Amino acid sequence: MMRRWLFPIVAGGLVALGAYQATLLATPYALMQAAMNKIGDRGPENQFAFSPMTTAANQTIVRPSPDLAYAACAFNVSKGPVLVDVQPVPDHYWSVSIFDARTDVAAVRSDRDTKGKAARLALVNAGQTAPAGYEPVRVGYDRGLVLIRILVAPASTFPTIDAIRRKSTCKQV
Amino acid sequence: MKTWHRFAACIALGLVGGAAYAVHQVRGGLSDGMVEIGPWQTGKSFGTVDASALTRAKVALSGLLALPAKEAMYFTAKNDSDGRALDGRCTYVVRGGKLDGRWWSITLYEGEGWLVKNAANRWSVPASAVPVDEAGGWSFTVAPSAQSGTWLPTGSVPKFDLTLRLYHPSTMMIQSPEKAQLPTIERKECA
Repeated sequence: MMRRWLFPIVAGGLVALGAYQATLLATPYALMQAAMNKIGDRGPENQFAFSPMTTAANQTIVRPSPDLAYAACAFNVSKGPVLVDVQPVPDHYWSVSIFDARTDVAAVRSDRDTKGKAARLALVNAGQTAPAGYEPVRVGYDRGLVLIRILVAPASTFPTIDAIRRKSTCKQV
Repeated sequence: MKTWHRFAACIALGLVGGAAYAVHQVRGGLSDGMVEIGPWQTGKSFGTVDASALTRAKVALSGLLALPAKEAMYFTAKNDSDGRALDGRCTYVVRGGKLDGRWWSITLYEGEGWLVKNAANRWSVPASAVPVDEAGGWSFTVAPSAQSGTWLPTGSVPKFDLTLRLYHPSTMMIQSPEKAQLPTIERKECA
C-alpha cells in the first residue's frame, strides 16, 4: 500500500517546492506590473504623472508617505533610451529612483548626490548608449518605474513645489 | 485507484500547498535579514539585488518601491514597547530623541499599508511637527480622539502599525541598525 504512494508523494513534494519558489519569484513582478498599470492609467508610457499629495482617499500604492510629493513614470526602453531630467527643488529633500520590473533599485540620486543641481539620467538596456550630458543607468529589464519623491514641509509649500516638479521630464529618445 | 490518479492527486496537492505556503510566508511576520529594535523592525536589504526572494516578495507586498538603506530606512512597529498589538481604540505616547539621519516621519497604516480615514485628515507626524526639549527629546500622542499637543489619529481601527522613515541615515545607523535609539511606544488607556 505505502509503496504505491511513495513515488506520487515524492513527486508532490518536489512540485510543492517548485510552486513555493515560483510564487515567491513571481510576486514582485506581478505587483510591479499592477503598479505600472495603475500609473499607466494616469498617463502615457515614458512620461511623468504628477500625483497630488497622498491622502486616505487617493492611495494607489501601499505604504505611501503623506509627507512626500510623488511623480512617477512607467518607462520602456525597448525602442530606445529614456531620458529623465529632474528639476531640483531648493532647500528640500528630493530624490529620483529607478526600479526595474523585479522591484530592484537600478539607481537613486538625491539632492545630496547632485549637490542641489538637476539629475540627468539616461535609462539604457544592454545594447544602448547614453547621449552626452546624461548619466547612464543600465536597467536589467526594459520596463520599470521612475519615482520622484520631494519632501513637502510645511504642507503650505506644495503649490510652489508642484510648479517646480512639473518641469521634470521623462521621455524616449 | 490507478497509478496516475495517485500522481495527479499528489501533484495537485503539491501545487496548491506550495503556493499557499509561499503566500502565507509573504503575508507573515519576520523575514530573513530582519532586525528588531524594541517594538520596531527593519530589513537590511530592501530594494537591493541582495534581497532574498522572500524578502523581495514581502517588501513588494507591503512596501513596494522602498528605497535602499543608504537613501532611507524604514522601521515598522506592530506592537507597543510591552509587546502588545497596536490597537486603534487605545491611546499611546510615542517618545523619542534625536534620530541619526537627515529627516524623519512616523506614519500610521492599517492592513497591508493603507492610510486610515480620520476626521482630522492627518496620517503622519514629521520631525518638524513635534516640539523638541532642551535634551533633544520629543513626544506625540496616538489616539482615536483629539489630544492636546501633537496628535496622530488612529481612526479607531482595531489594528494598525507605525512606520518610521529615516531619510539619509548615518553610516552607523545603516551598518548597525540594531544599536539605534528608536522611539518608545507606551500604551495608556483603551476605550
